[in-house]
Amino acid sequence: MNRLLFGVILVIVSAAMVSAQGGVKKKRPLPDEFGRVIINNNSEKAGLAPVVFNHWLHRSKFTCRLCHVDVGFAMKAGTTGIKAADNARGFYCGSCHNGKKSADNVQMFEACSKTAVPADKTRCMRCHSLGKNVTPKYDFAEFTAGLPKGRFGNGIDWEKAEETGVIKPVDYLEGVSIKRKAITAQKDFALSPKLEGMPEIIFSHKKHTLWNGCELCHPEIFVGVKKGTTKYSMVEIFDGKYCGVCHVSVAFPLTDCQRCHTKQVQ
Amino acid sequence: MKGSVIFSILLGLILFSSPVIQEPCSNVSMLYGTAYAEQDWKTEFDDICGRTQDAMAYSPEELRKLVERCDKIKPLIEKLGETERKVYLRRLEMCRELFVFTLESKEKK
Repeated sequence: MNRLLFGVILVIVSAAMVSAQGGVKKKRPLPDEFGRVIINNNSEKAGLAPVVFNHWLHRSKFTCRLCHVDVGFAMKAGTTGIKAADNARGFYCGSCHNGKKSADNVQMFEACSKTAVPADKTRCMRCHSLGKNVTPKYDFAEFTAGLPKGRFGNGIDWEKAEETGVIKPVDYLEGVSIKRKAITAQKDFALSPKLEGMPEIIFSHKKHTLWNGCELCHPEIFVGVKKGTTKYSMVEIFDGKYCGVCHVSVAFPLTDCQRCHTKQVQ
Repeated sequence: MKGSVIFSILLGLILFSSPVIQEPCSNVSMLYGTAYAEQDWKTEFDDICGRTQDAMAYSPEELRKLVERCDKIKPLIEKLGETERKVYLRRLEMCRELFVFTLESKEKK
């Protein structure tokens, strides 16, 4: 009898726990899938497969600021509303992928050409590849073999890769970016966690401005300049707000606690 | 001498008021005006948004001026083609918002 009661309670508790999580356990993405964005504003309407965009390849060559400020890509997937015509006019993907510009001495293919013919299908499928059997030009394992390893996300320590000069993310795009002097980084500061016993967070402006500049984070993501103005919790961060805008999807993930909670408990 | 000066002035006035001359002239000036305005918004945009790196170093007065300048070029960007308008309005909004945000934080201090 007791066993039966225990069994019933166990089933109820398990069901409650599952339903509390929305019934679906999130699958942790594989290293090459981390930061992947599927763009399907207009692709399927135009009879093409949705675009698969890999952040890892692009972030190894360009700063976040270059694409999300100068080129104009929104921070939330699917909200830019990119059209093939935009790319063909030399904006968004077409800012670089115009068949003329090059990165690391490799000429970049032209995206969404006005004169595309069926023979260009292979080129179209370099981006419009969701569900297609496309061999990517850059193999993730091969490409990242020489990069410093990280524990989560892409399995790459991008910060270290930049610091040690293994990657040199470009922050200026001719004809798109504005020539400007180097940024004066604001001071680093400590944030006290709400949970007692958790190490304090040391926020480095220097590390962040190097990739993001100022306007990528302020005021769209963080509305307060003064320490303590923006109040947020880990729940909100895990929900993709504040630090979570990047650190859930592209930058090292929130499971890598010690990357932020670095100051020793006194 | 006096006669030739008067003649020149009269000739100038006749030519200026002539519709044959006036029509192309006004078109030319309009074209130049448009070209200048187009050039002008981009130069102005680059100058304003190229200052975001230093936002914290500006005084409230300077920041207010930058916000005003953003508002001034917005109507010019709104007249651009679809894509250019979409891209540059977002870019302008990002730098304007940063200046407003920095200004507010300085004024709160």
